[in-house]
Amino acid sequence: MSDTAEPDTLVVETVERLLADVCTPASVERAESVGWSAAVWDALANAGFPWVSVPVDAGGSGGTLTDAAAILRCVGRHAAPVPVAETGVLAGWLLAGAGIALPAGPATVVPDASAITLVDGRLTGRATVAWGRRAERIVALVANGSDWIVASCRPEQLSITLGQSLAGEPRDRVWFDVPLVATEHAPALPGTDGDALHHRGAFTRVVMTAGALSAIAQMTIDYTNERQQFGRPVATFQAVQQHLVTVAQCAVRVEMAADLATRAIARGAVGIEIAAARLIADAAIVAGTRAAHQAHGAMGVTREYPLHQLSRRLWAWRHEYGSATTWRRRLGRDVHAGGADALFPLITGWVAHDSVRP
Amino acid sequence: MIEFQCSELSIEERQLQADVREFLAAELPRGSFMPGLGMNAAKDPVFSAKLGERGWLGMALPTEYGGHERSAVDRFIVTEELLRWGAPVGHHWVADRQSGPVIAKFATEAQKRRFLPGICRGELSFCIGMSEPASGSDLASVTTRAIHDGDSWVLDGRKIWTTGADRNDWIVVLCRTSLLDEVTDKRQGLSQLIVDLRSPGVTASPIPFIDGTADFCEVTFDGVVVPGELVLGEIGSGWTQNMSELAYERGGADRWLSTYLVAEELLRNHEHGEISDDLADLLGEAVANYWLLHQLSLSVARSIDRGGAPAVESALAKEMGTRFEQDVLNAVLAFVDQAPNTATDSLFERLLITATLTAPSFTIRGGTNEILRSVAAKGLRPSSGRR
Repeated sequence: MSDTAEPDTLVVETVERLLADVCTPASVERAESVGWSAAVWDALANAGFPWVSVPVDAGGSGGTLTDAAAILRCVGRHAAPVPVAETGVLAGWLLAGAGIALPAGPATVVPDASAITLVDGRLTGRATVAWGRRAERIVALVANGSDWIVASCRPEQLSITLGQSLAGEPRDRVWFDVPLVATEHAPALPGTDGDALHHRGAFTRVVMTAGALSAIAQMTIDYTNERQQFGRPVATFQAVQQHLVTVAQCAVRVEMAADLATRAIARGAVGIEIAAARLIADAAIVAGTRAAHQAHGAMGVTREYPLHQLSRRLWAWRHEYGSATTWRRRLGRDVHAGGADALFPLITGWVAHDSVRP
Repeated sequence: MIEFQCSELSIEERQLQADVREFLAAELPRGSFMPGLGMNAAKDPVFSAKLGERGWLGMALPTEYGGHERSAVDRFIVTEELLRWGAPVGHHWVADRQSGPVIAKFATEAQKRRFLPGICRGELSFCIGMSEPASGSDLASVTTRAIHDGDSWVLDGRKIWTTGADRNDWIVVLCRTSLLDEVTDKRQGLSQLIVDLRSPGVTASPIPFIDGTADFCEVTFDGVVVPGELVLGEIGSGWTQNMSELAYERGGADRWLSTYLVAEELLRNHEHGEISDDLADLLGEAVANYWLLHQLSLSVARSIDRGGAPAVESALAKEMGTRFEQDVLNAVLAFVDQAPNTATDSLFERLLITATLTAPSFTIRGGTNEILRSVAAKGLRPSSGRR
């Protein structure tokens, strides 16, 4: 599969139009009580969008990881209450790599590859799994000595306790106690290990954050231009403009970070990009949602106004696939290992290349 | 809307980067010179001339005037490497960054032939003649006045915060050529003059800077006769020309690299042995931000190469970059457990002292962050269909 730097614009425009149509604030709100939006899922699934980047011969929709990242941005922008990241880019990737059939409906993954262990032929452990209750398959990447195994489980083989994230999205507790032979399982594709899954999961959260934060920026600009106080739009006050600039900066920072992370992961050679993008996203979530809520005043803290559908998702996503602290410390240790002379080449993305004299 | 596009360096651009790195390692080996902090680095005409020989000054200027018609990205790559090395860029800095480009854009044929080759060779040094004692952020309120007298203009007034005015060759002065009551808007009636700093009537007096250095000057113009052929661009178009000059002044690597060497030296001092969690946190956060700011500056340069006018993007990038320069310094200061002291042989400590004392200027020079946020706010428009 060849990955290109630019996403397929037709795909992006179609997903954007589709979500603008079906993924309304009312449908996002309703999804919280039932655990997802079947209408949004059907609209996306009928066109195959959740399986973009998974090869056609493995049961996916084809297309590039860059296309999938663009779709995830749309998911973030519209706060779409459906497991798109989990079904294709994460579970689909693991299953296709291992040669295991993809289910027809949603799938999800155990985000932490150390959560489930294989002892004496049994998979045991507990994990918090996104959209667990809605998945036709829950996929775990499990260490087997120095090798990795992909195990695809049917929900009835597991014990599931319902839970929700800060955004009201399903984050269910799933207990594994199942013989490996009872699951569909196969060796993972070489190179697919716990760390690769961790990076890939963090990548999905960064691109979704980019979408949601850019939507928040536009929503905040629009609202402050409509809302009048002292006889004029509040956006004309310098004190409010400071907040608008902060939100816009946070949005462009994460968008740039997401673009760079996407290139790295699509290229299949990840250096510091995911860790760095994850840190940029974390700081942008904190500063961006603070400024956006402040600019919205009391309106932004009601359930009637849709800001919370985006801001609560951002507050939930920042905790998934590693905290900022773990990514920061890990990046710092890598920087230290490289040493002072390698610092600037690292920042400027030095890639050793045959035709460049070192 | 605001747009920062992601891009990568081409093989040719990577080669240029590698060439500059190789040149600096050979010309200015670490330990052989006292590195400077970003654009505040030392003035060294001999070094500037060497860059000129390499074709690394006036890179984007037309070849017929000694330039090299390279891209804005190529220029970005070269300046980024010079700055992060702490190379002595002081002599040519303003001429290369902004005077050269505005002269190429607005000057007469004769002016281009007179100034650009010397700028590209690294010989001529320029000053920025914008701020005045009573005109900082409100730049259009300048009162320095030029009166037409035959073929010349007679200049009176004062400019302030003018780096290097006591040693440089030329200054581009923003001045009033029509009185305020002759115009409907104070941004009208302004012009730019290219003034020889050695002209009779020019006095440059150093203003001691917060760190004890004396590069900052106040320049007074007392009946200075400026020949008519040194008017830059159109009489009365000074404001527009000046704004385009500011776009060159913002958005570059000089807006986020001023304290870079403090971080690099901190790492060098802790290269061996175990790394503490605190230091790992500091380095991780710093590198993520450097990585991002590098890309934002690169995207501004790419936009210029596509013929764009990224004024809002430059303002946003500078606002973020300069705050980060202070943030990373503050993180380092919080980490070190020894009070900085001038009686030291440690490069880290010496850089730390200068950085700490000069850091407040980062978010002021070239447009305060408050002004930059106002510029950026004008670029934030409601979605279509709304007011």
